[in-house]
Parts: sequence; C-alpha cells; structure tokens
Amino acid sequence: MKNRKIWIGIISLLVVIAVFLGIYKMNTPQSVQGDKAYTLEVVDKEGKSTKYESRTDAEFLSQAMEELQEQQDFSFEGDKTEYGIMITSVNGTQAKDSDKAYWAIYVNDEYGQYGADSQPVTDGDAFKLAYETYQ
Amino acid sequence: MKPTSKFTARDIVSIGCMTAILEAVKWTLSSIPGVELVSFFLILFTIFYGWKTILAALGFAFLEIILWGMGIWNFMYIYMWPLLVALTMLVRKYDSIWAYTFLSAGFGLCFGALCSIPYLLIGGPITMFTWWIAGIPYDIAHGIANFLIMILLYKPVYHVMEKVFTKYKMQP
Repeated sequence: MKNRKIWIGIISLLVVIAVFLGIYKMNTPQSVQGDKAYTLEVVDKEGKSTKYESRTDAEFLSQAMEELQEQQDFSFEGDKTEYGIMITSVNGTQAKDSDKAYWAIYVNDEYGQYGADSQPVTDGDAFKLAYETYQ
Repeated sequence: MKPTSKFTARDIVSIGCMTAILEAVKWTLSSIPGVELVSFFLILFTIFYGWKTILAALGFAFLEIILWGMGIWNFMYIYMWPLLVALTMLVRKYDSIWAYTFLSAGFGLCFGALCSIPYLLIGGPITMFTWWIAGIPYDIAHGIANFLIMILLYKPVYHVMEKVFTKYKMQP
C-alpha cells in the first residue's frame, strides 16, 4: 500500500514535469535563419531617441545587438541570469535596481515577452530599448 | 512544560542559528542554477521547530534583501519561504521521508510559477505567464534536485538535528 502511494507520487511528479516541458516547448519562440533587416530604437533616461537600422543573420536580438555594437555607435551590457541575459546598460546608461529602473524591450510597438537572447529576429522587425521605471 | 506562545532567549538564539544556516547553505550552492539546500533545511527545521521556523524563513528573506538590495524578487522571498514552512506543517502529520520528498520536489517544480505572482500585479497575466515559462527548465532542475537532496540527506541530517535539538532542549 505504501509502495503504491510512493509510485503514485513519483508518477505524478513525472506527469507535472512532462506537462511543464510541453508548455515550455509550445511557448518558446522560434528563430528565423537568413538575412533580415531590422531597426533598433533606444529611448534613454531623458526620453531622447536614437534609431539604428541594420541587417543581420542573427537569430536572436542579443546576437544582433552584439553585431550592431561592432558596426555602429551603439553599446550595451547585460548580466547573465538563469532566465537569460538581463540588459543593464545601453549606450552607457545604466538601469539600476536601486533606482527601480530597467531596460524594457519592445517588439513592433508591443511590450516584449522574451529576454534579448530568446527574442527572435524576423525580417522587418522594429525593436525598441526603453529606459523605464517601476513603482 | 514551557508555554509555547512565548518567545524565550533560547528561541531567539535558535532562530538566529537557523537563519545563519539558511544563509550559509544558500551561498554554498548559489553558483549552481536550480540547486539549493534552503528548501531542505527549512523543511527539516520545521519538522523540529514547528511554526516558529517562519521567523527563520523571514529572517533569511530579509538578510538576502539586505545583501542583494531591493528588487521584485524581495516580495517573492517574503512569501515563498514562509509558504514552505506552512506546507511542511501540513505534511508533518504523515511523518514520512516520502511526504517531505514530494513536498520538496513539488515546491521546486512550482517555484517559478509561485514566484511569478508579483508579475501578475506589475504587468498582467501575459507577463506573469511569460516569466514563468522562461524559467521552466530551471524549475524542472530545481524539482529534481530537491527530490534527490531530500532522499539522500534526510536521514543523516535528521539524526544529527535530532541529537542537537534534544541536547539543547530546543522545542516548538
């Protein structure tokens, strides 16, 4: 009887893991290979906007940003976290937790749902990095 | 028999020691994503020390906030660890290694989902859901690690703690 309960517990855990993996797989963004044009707008602390246009073979935004860093007057820094890269600084402006500030990612005018290293780049995408604060 | 509702000097020292152990084990494994001993020790402390362990859980949360600074995760820590103490109190009546193992593994698996609640208030359900999904691989690793840690360490650590709690007459 006791063994049966243990097996039910183990199987329940395995079912939860399988369901979680399924949800993860279904909701993970798919990358696109090949040459793509994109724009990147940076809105800094004072609300000043700087726009960049470029082409890339990169599949994810962070890779495109790394390329852009080498091509144009753009720079960024980020911390690697267990949830992916977290952008901490863009063009020298740091977003600090102590200021309740962060760099938000917008994709085609919508608030980004993924981190820079899991946000796919598709042809014609318009990205925006905006310095924002929270309460 | 001492009254259980009163906090004694022994309680304060015990809670301080438990908080210190939680902080020390957090640092020990902080470089390995998804692997931690905080859940294991909080469950063990609760088995021996009951509801008062919530104060050690809160002490640990506030110590982390002091060390790492303010952030959204502060809210998560303040409710997550006391929640584990409360869940352990519910499971404690079964007095079984397997009950604690399933609790610990389930807590690890659901850690991201439970931690995503503040994002519901900040950014709405989509932000909450996305944040949870991004961490699912780590939640799975967390659940499996918690399972193995409890299965492997429960008996030896339980016996050591039983000796310590008996020797120093620490009781809830």
